[in-house]
Amino acid sequence: MEKQLKVSSGFKTVMYVLIAFGLITVIIGFATGDHVRTWANLLLNNYYFMSVALGASFWLAIQAITQSGWSAGFVRVPQAMSNYLIVSFVLWFFMFFGLHDLYHWTHHDAVMNDSILLHKEPYLNIPFFAIRFVLFFGLWIFLTQRIKKLSLAEDQIGGLTNFNKIEFTSKVFIFVFAITFSLFAIDWLMSLDAHWYSTIYAVKKFIMAFYHGAVVITAIVIILNKLGYFPFLNKEHLGDFGRYIFILSIIWAYIWLSQYLLIWYANIPEETVYYIPRIMQEYKNFFYLELIVNWLFPFLFLMWNRIAKNPNALLFVAIVLMGGQWIELYMSIMPDTVSSHNITYIEFGTFFGYLALFALVVAWSLSRMPLVAKNHPYLPESIEHH
Amino acid sequence: MNNRNIIGIYDDQDVLLNALDELQENGVKIKDVYSPIPLHGVFERLHLKTRLPYATFIYGAIGVVSVFLFLYWTSVVSYPLKFGGKPLNTLSFIIIMFVLTIFVGTLFTFLTYFIREKMFPGKQVELPIPETTNDKFAVLIEKEVTMTEDDLKKVNSLLQKTGAVEIKETE
Repeated sequence: MEKQLKVSSGFKTVMYVLIAFGLITVIIGFATGDHVRTWANLLLNNYYFMSVALGASFWLAIQAITQSGWSAGFVRVPQAMSNYLIVSFVLWFFMFFGLHDLYHWTHHDAVMNDSILLHKEPYLNIPFFAIRFVLFFGLWIFLTQRIKKLSLAEDQIGGLTNFNKIEFTSKVFIFVFAITFSLFAIDWLMSLDAHWYSTIYAVKKFIMAFYHGAVVITAIVIILNKLGYFPFLNKEHLGDFGRYIFILSIIWAYIWLSQYLLIWYANIPEETVYYIPRIMQEYKNFFYLELIVNWLFPFLFLMWNRIAKNPNALLFVAIVLMGGQWIELYMSIMPDTVSSHNITYIEFGTFFGYLALFALVVAWSLSRMPLVAKNHPYLPESIEHH
Repeated sequence: MNNRNIIGIYDDQDVLLNALDELQENGVKIKDVYSPIPLHGVFERLHLKTRLPYATFIYGAIGVVSVFLFLYWTSVVSYPLKFGGKPLNTLSFIIIMFVLTIFVGTLFTFLTYFIREKMFPGKQVELPIPETTNDKFAVLIEKEVTMTEDDLKKVNSLLQKTGAVEIKETE
């Protein structure tokens, strides 16, 4: 129970190699003049792992406000994932150098000659954009770090004071997260095509963060269990993790369909433009792949109770769904930035580079604190979960 | 209910679950458990098997296919009406398909359950003790003809040992 995570040097080496590989890919991408594709991929991966880390924090906040017992043994995993936000904050800063390549509204002369962009100018201008960015990240890092600190303090002194404080902070975090994350998705993803807007866009990104945050938590818990940590993990914990994925896949599909019907079927030409490259032109094979990977596959696969409680099957689902989130973000970003649908070495290199960095940060954070929150009031219930 | 049973009555669900384990370890065959609330873990402990989810899946699959065929027939084959330039065969079918799949799946699952359990409106309640609808949990152990006096004593003492608040016998 007192066991701490030990990060093996082999793991570290592999991750460093992957990060170096990603870095080289980015340099080659810029050197060969593929600026837009490289920036678009950096945006995709920055968003991907930030969304996973925030989704995991949201998952943790949900556990805290519902006072869930079953998950009490695993709270350290999302807490460690939230540490990645600090790294992400630094990485996002580099994105400001690529604003001109990605965002049409950053070109002053284009805005001046465009009545729609001129109308949006008071909100979509670089200084205010940067202020929002710093403010949102500041709030997320402050709140998630506070939850982690309170939980670590609970390890030392026990009692219910910290538990109640965590619950309160989680409530604040949920409110802050709902508003800021929606605006963040609008700023960085929806404004890629600044002429277009949709009210359901942020909702889908919000559900995606929650969905894939839960998926990555499940993957990490199962991998750590295979390495000999979390000895108390049983079929019922896995069943609950699987249930989270199953339910969120349905909610995700619900939002997907709502977006599809509202935009594509409501017959508003200003909004339908979003689906033209995605459904009718070169991106159309990915359009259906996104739905199949993110909804149909987990829905049919996890429907069988025995599969939902099998660690190997759940790990398989989690890995497939990590690909599913990539496809979803690819479909959000690429049609508005890169003109051609083409998966090159840049896509692979940047993704695995970021994945390695994320894994390294999470592993390092987990190794720095006790793996199980030993004074969590619901820990005995979590261990005896049936 | 016509059989003769020994009934162990418990008033706490954790005590009951531990009692089930201990009774089974000592080779007592448990016939049934009555509880006022759905209890997690009883199903697994009694090694029960059910094919009901498979039936639900089949009903749902039948529902989704037949509803799609019906929608296709009405809006593409029988009465094609173009509006807004949208295709006749669209994804907007999904909402009706989704709702009716749930409806068909649920309704037929209930029907199957009622038929298998021989339930119908107006059927008399069969309870070993009426308190299981309130705050008590009952464990039924069948009194088999082959059971000797010693066996019965053993069952009785086990029930007492595991924390039964009351032990009843039905003739």
